[in-house]
Order: sequence, then structure tokens, then C-alpha cells
Amino acid sequence: MKIIELNRVSKSYGSNTAKVLSDISMEINRGERIVILGPSGCGKTTILRLIAGFIAPDSGSISIGGHLAAAGKRIFLPPEKRNIGMVFQDLALWPHLTVRGNIEFPLKSGGVPKKKRSEKIEEILELVGMKGLGGRKPGELSGGQRQRVALARALAPEPAVLLMDEPLSGLDVELNTRIRKEILRLHEKLGFTLLYVTHDREEAFSIATRIVVISKGGINRDKNPGLPETETGQQERN
Amino acid sequence: MRKRIFLTSVVILLMIAGLLPVLFMLAKSVTADGCLTLAAYKGVLTSRRQWVLMGHSMALASLVTVLTLVAGVPLGILFGKTDFPFRRLFVFLFVIPLLISPYIIAVSWSDLFGGGFLAGVLGPHFTTVATRLLFGLPGCVLVLFSTFLPIPMVLTMVFLKSVNPRLEEAGRLVSGWRGVLKNITIPLILPGILLSAMLVFLLSFGEFGVPNFLRYNVFPVESFTQFSAFYNFKAATAAAAPLAVLTLVVLAAEFYLLRGRGTEIPSFSDSSIPLPINFGKYRKILFFSVALAVFLLVIMPLAVLLIQSAGFDSYAEAFRKGGDSLLRSLLYAVFGATLLTIFGFFTGYLIRTRALRFWRSVDFVTIFLFALPGTVLGIGLVTLWNRPLTNFIYATPLIIILGYLARYTALTSRISAAYLGQIPGSMEEAARIAGAGWFRRMALIVAPLAKNGLFAGWIAGYVFSLRDTAVTMLVYPAGHDTLPVRIFTLMANGSPRLIAALCIIMVAVTIIPAGILWMVSNPVQEKETI
Repeated sequence: MKIIELNRVSKSYGSNTAKVLSDISMEINRGERIVILGPSGCGKTTILRLIAGFIAPDSGSISIGGHLAAAGKRIFLPPEKRNIGMVFQDLALWPHLTVRGNIEFPLKSGGVPKKKRSEKIEEILELVGMKGLGGRKPGELSGGQRQRVALARALAPEPAVLLMDEPLSGLDVELNTRIRKEILRLHEKLGFTLLYVTHDREEAFSIATRIVVISKGGINRDKNPGLPETETGQQERN
Repeated sequence: MRKRIFLTSVVILLMIAGLLPVLFMLAKSVTADGCLTLAAYKGVLTSRRQWVLMGHSMALASLVTVLTLVAGVPLGILFGKTDFPFRRLFVFLFVIPLLISPYIIAVSWSDLFGGGFLAGVLGPHFTTVATRLLFGLPGCVLVLFSTFLPIPMVLTMVFLKSVNPRLEEAGRLVSGWRGVLKNITIPLILPGILLSAMLVFLLSFGEFGVPNFLRYNVFPVESFTQFSAFYNFKAATAAAAPLAVLTLVVLAAEFYLLRGRGTEIPSFSDSSIPLPINFGKYRKILFFSVALAVFLLVIMPLAVLLIQSAGFDSYAEAFRKGGDSLLRSLLYAVFGATLLTIFGFFTGYLIRTRALRFWRSVDFVTIFLFALPGTVLGIGLVTLWNRPLTNFIYATPLIIILGYLARYTALTSRISAAYLGQIPGSMEEAARIAGAGWFRRMALIVAPLAKNGLFAGWIAGYVFSLRDTAVTMLVYPAGHDTLPVRIFTLMANGSPRLIAALCIIMVAVTIIPAGILWMVSNPVQEKETI
């Protein structure tokens, strides 16, 4: 069942007429783990920002959960109405709030009652292995702990789709591997749809059930990482 | 080693220009005939009148602070975070009152209510009531509100630029803009808001030109009167000391509460475009409200002065009576701005690179001197340099330049530091590896890369030197008055047409360079529509 559908989406920035994305189409099914793989500047992050609702497409349409979220400049659903969670490249943890405050904000904004919020926070902290650290500020945490808080914050409101924008870049190999396993464990347990952006092939192959290769603003290949390379070649779109 | 010696020398010179006079003044106020005495303070502290004046100052400063924050922070968010039409032009217009001597705005309001402009339209009863309100606390609040409104507005905009857009985007996934602003953006820029509150409070508290003109007795007027009218030096110093102590206490409290975050120079976040807030159907209402505010607070007062001074005769008389003062003003402002740029550059470098252990103290002292009432600094300068041996300073314009250097280095050092923060440290390191000494690196690598900051610093130094009244009024040697001082003295018995013409000349020579800076910094006009 489709949860996200991009239909001939194009995007350029400012007065720059060169398109960052050109006529991109993509379908993502519920529960899939899609990795968008490509070099820097190819438009990977732009796809995530379009789906999240931080920017609007110049043309084409985006549907989320069967509802039209954006269609050219005419229809635009704001980010908070899209039921999407996101882990940013720099994690974007709010430095003035505690771990608990970071996780609580999305729940509070979503109108979750106080008692239920507290239960949910404890539950999610336990899930990501951060029990007992809710009172700390992001600046008092290690790199791995910050990753877990970012995951917890994104997953707390139970989004249908989790977007991850190169969340493991800059981590050492050991931590990178550990967090990857953590993501897979959480995916298995919670069953969300994952859209993950990276330029690292190894990372992509270890996470994805499907890989979309992007270059120069267009989809180059859409393949199943489990299939041999010869077969994936047949899946090329252009 | 050369770097350390040079930077230490710069700091010592700054301390001699600014801190030493204040310390000297405080020391002198507690001594008489070589003995320690608190007689002068006793006189000040036991006088009921002084406490009433202190109450007036507190009321004025508090009201101005609250009102500027209430209006300035939303305006800063509006101009810094939204796609509001003509926002750059609005920012420039709102900033104008800060660039000119505050009493000029007071003169225009006085002309508006007293000069018959409104009497014909709204009747004499209205103008009588309005004049009564203007000459008192409400009038002082109105004028200082329009003067200091740009401080929270601009600081909000500057601190907004330092907020990582990802932090807001993370909030936008789950909340509307109202929730994001309330829970994420405003708490993140709180140090900037508190810094602006502190600056507005101290500047309003120390302001004496506007209350003096609008006949509202406040504490700084007392020390000025004791000094200039009665030449009671002890009483003037004793009246100035509480202002210095209060400035120090407010600054220290702010510094302690925020652990220095308020006075930190914000680093601008990555270049990705932050999310603009769209106002939808409220856009036009908001636009006309802001346009009305800028008209009432800025355009109308200046227009009143223009109308009041209309005619060749007014300007001919203005140039005849104030031409020499104008030339001196320009000369001192150019000289002061150049020195301020040089000192600000090296102090900014020291603060940004933390090249000396006591960099934080240097930063604190420059801000303290900026926030200190000009009258206090002026009395300090006179106390220190009024002696035969240093007559070459006291009896020449050098003392005015020293006053500018002491009071406004904080501005140029912060501007330089902000621009220096944009230059990767590797630039200087690469020159060092190539064998360039520190002076060579400064001259050939760092200064050229920071040239925009130097330019902006020079303009800021020029504008603030030109508008200075409080320090110059107290220290100028005979025959060396500046235009703001000349206008101030002429206000007692000069014709309104002459005063208005002089004010317009003053505004023109201040605004034109600032306008050029604005145009240079925004070479391409944004295409903006309502």
C-alpha cells in the first residue's frame, strides 16, 4: 500500500533556473525502508524537505497517506499536518530543553494529555536505551546518546513516515554500526516507513529494503539491494 | 610575542581613555584634602530630592524598556523571519531615530504640538493637553521609545540569524509557527532579547538630553546641572557615581544570569535559507500597521522639522550660526570614526581569537563604557585631564576624541568581531606557515578579508561620534563645540525655525552615510510585493 507518492516533482531554488530536481516520480509503500543514495548536491535532501513540507515543489505533486500534500504552488499542507518524523543531519536537538523536553514538545503540540505524555516519554526513553537520562540537556550527552534522543523525539508522536537525513555522518565506524542496528531494531518493533538519505553505499545496503540512486536531479536507478547487480540494471528508469 | 605586546598596548590605551577617568572620578569623590570622606555621598543619599529623581529615572527607563521590548521583538521577528514586503526599507527607517541625537525627535514633537501644526486641525484644547503630556514623563517615554526601538528590533534580527534553521524545522514538523516561536525560537534568542533590554534600560536611564529638553527631572540631569550650572564638582561626581555603580550592577547581573551568553557575539548559522513565516490574509493589515507606525514615529517628526525649517533664510541663518560647529562635528566624527575603527578592529580580533587571557574583561569594560551615562564619562574625563600637565589633552579637541574612543569602542569591536568570525582561522594559519609575521598577516590577509566589517565599523563610529551630545557637552574646550552641542545650547533662546533647520542639517549629515552603507550592503533590491 502506497504511503508516499511523488509525481513528476521539480524544484529549483531562487532565481537559479537550473533545477535541483527534475520531473522526479517515486512511490513508497508502507513499512518499506527506502534509502536515497547519491553524491553531494544531487538533490537527496531536497526530496526529504519536499516530503516534510519545508519547501514546496515548483511543479508536480506529492501525496502522503493517500492525501494530496502538495501540488505545484496551489496546494500545500504545512509540515505539522503531514504526520512525519525527521532526524536531521546535525540532529537539531533543542539545546535549551532537556531530553525529556525535546521528546515532550511534539507530544504537547499534538495535544497529548499530560499523564499520557509522561508515560509515552518513559516508554520511548526505555525503547532507545536512555532511561534515567531525561533530565539532561543535549550538551551533556555523548554523540551516540544524542542520536538516540533525536530518534526518540522523531518517533514519539508515532509518525507514519520517518525521514532521516544522513544522520550517521560524522560518527566513528563502531558507533555508526551500533546506531544502524538500533534503527533496524526500532523499525522492526514499531513498523514505521523509513526514508533514509545517505551518500555511503555500505550504510545504504545495510539499511534498505529498496535503494533509489539519484544523480544530477533525477532518479538514476531504483533497485532492491538484495538482488544481483545484473537484475537491478533492468530496473533502471532512464 | 609581538601580537601580545601590541594587543596589550591597545587595551592599555583603551583603559586610559575610558576606565581610568571613571576610576579616578570615583576615587576623587571619596577624598577631600587627602583624607577619605563620604560627605559628598551623604549629601546625595540623604537628600529626598535625589531619591525622587532616582525614582523618575527608574520609571522612565523601565517604561521605555518594556515598551521597546513589546514592540521591538515582534518587529525583529517580522523583519528577520518573514517575507514581509519592503522589510529592508522599514528596518532602515525605524533605525533612523537611533542614528540621530534623541533630542532632535523631542524638538520635532514639541514643534508639532506647540508650533500650530495641529492646533488648526484638532483645536487648541487638544494641543494644550498634548503639550502638557509631552513635557513630562509620557513625552520622554514617547521620544526614547522611538529612539531605542531599533535596539531590540535589530538585536532580535541578529540573534535570529544565529539560530540553526534545523532547530525550527524540527519544531515545524509537529507544531505551527506560533508554537515554534514560543517554545523554540524565542527561548533560543532570549540572551539577545535580554541584552537589548539591558542596553535600552541603561541608555534610557543615562539619557539627559531628552528629559532636560522636555523638563522632566531625572538623575543624570542632576549631575550635569551640578557640574555645568553650579560647578559643584564634588556634588556632580557624587551624583554621577550611583549611575556608574548601577550600570556595573545591571551589567554584572546580566552577565551572571546568562553566563555571558548575552554578550557573546552570535555566529551566523549555515547558509541554508530559514523558513519564512507566511501571514496569509493578515499580510496587508500588518503591512499597513507597520507603515503607520513608521510614519508616526519617524517620518512625521522629520517632516515637521522640514516644514518648520522651510525657506532659504532658515538654512542661511543655520549655516551662519552653526556652520563652524558643523565643520568641527564632521572633522571630529571622521577622526573619531577612524580611530574607533582601528581600535575596534584590534579589540574585536582580541575578543574573537581570545588572544589574551583577559579578553572577556576587555569585552566587559567596553560594553560597560558604552552603557555608562555620557555625563558620568564626561565628568570622569574632566576629573582626570584637567591639570596643567595634561592641558594639551584637556584644552584641545583630543579630549572629545578620547571620549568617543571610550564610549563607542564597544560598537566597532563587536562589528569587527562579528565579521572576523566569518573568516576561517585557516586563512591566517596559511599565511603564518608561509612565513608572514603577525603584522603582515593582519595587514595583508585579515584586514582585507574583514574590509566590509571595517567599513561598517567606520560608519557606526562616524554616526555615533556625530550624534554624541552627553560626553561632548561636558568636555568640549572653549571654541570647539560640535553641532549637537550648538543646537542644544541654542534651543534655550533660538527661533524654532533656526533650531529646526539645524536639526535637519544634523539629520542629513548623519543619515546620508548610513544610507550609503545601506545601499552598498543591499546592492540588489529584492523584488517584493504585498
